[in-house]
Amino acid sequence: MQNSVQEQLCSTFSEVAEQLTFMFGEVVPKDEANTPDKLFTKARMTFTGDLAGTLSLAVPSDTTAEIAANILGLEPEDIETESMMNDALAEMLNVVCGHVIMSMVGKDANFKLATPVTDFVSEEQYAHMMASEEYVTLLLDENPVFLGLKLES
Amino acid sequence: MAFNILLVDDSATVRAVISKALTLAGVDINELHQAGHGQEALDVLDDQWIDLIFCDISMPVMDGEEFVKVMNEKGMIETIPVVIVSSAGSEPRVARLRQLGVRDYVQKPFTPERIREVVDQVMGVIQDAE
Repeated sequence: MQNSVQEQLCSTFSEVAEQLTFMFGEVVPKDEANTPDKLFTKARMTFTGDLAGTLSLAVPSDTTAEIAANILGLEPEDIETESMMNDALAEMLNVVCGHVIMSMVGKDANFKLATPVTDFVSEEQYAHMMASEEYVTLLLDENPVFLGLKLES
Repeated sequence: MAFNILLVDDSATVRAVISKALTLAGVDINELHQAGHGQEALDVLDDQWIDLIFCDISMPVMDGEEFVKVMNEKGMIETIPVVIVSSAGSEPRVARLRQLGVRDYVQKPFTPERIREVVDQVMGVIQDAE
């Protein structure tokens, strides 16, 4: 990922995350975020138009309740189902994606967002996120997250 | 005055957030209806009296733009205000939607204050004196 793209991606993500979840993002080297023993949940979505590609966000599965609670203005213990957690993570990605595209292309961008999908991250997928330049790592309130952007040329 | 409001978004999270924002903003709600996409919203409109609609753009089955077009074709958009709530609202898209009759656009993420501002402007409610 080009440095300028990475900076824009991370800056936009951190801004949206703060507004949406009241959690603060900080870019860190991958080895600092490397937690292979944790289970991660990933939301992934594609977009088309003036900019086309895929945006992904993987967070530790045990933080999805906190993220959902912060978005919904509830306590984590009020988030009772995996469906609620996944839906909130998907919505977070959806909002980030719209902002990322407009930050890169401009407010007059023409684009369409597909519906995000969520799933657990397998060991192979985790290894790919660690190795691939398409992913950057941040700490979101001290929780390691992987943010991936793949643009179609 | 209490309103019958329809929330149209494929995300249950968003519908919950808008619902909470309306409450925090002090908007008087009589009935709150929900739909997961434009077609479901049209089904609600067939059965229920709705005063105001908050609608997303990116949804499966029938997205927000298509929903607004149908409301426009049926002449409903003149009498039932639609406010778009989205992160996919680029300027050309918002302009297209306003031409179809959408009253306002709220970008996600939003605050309860922004929701109150929109409701007051769109529904022509005079704010309570503090």
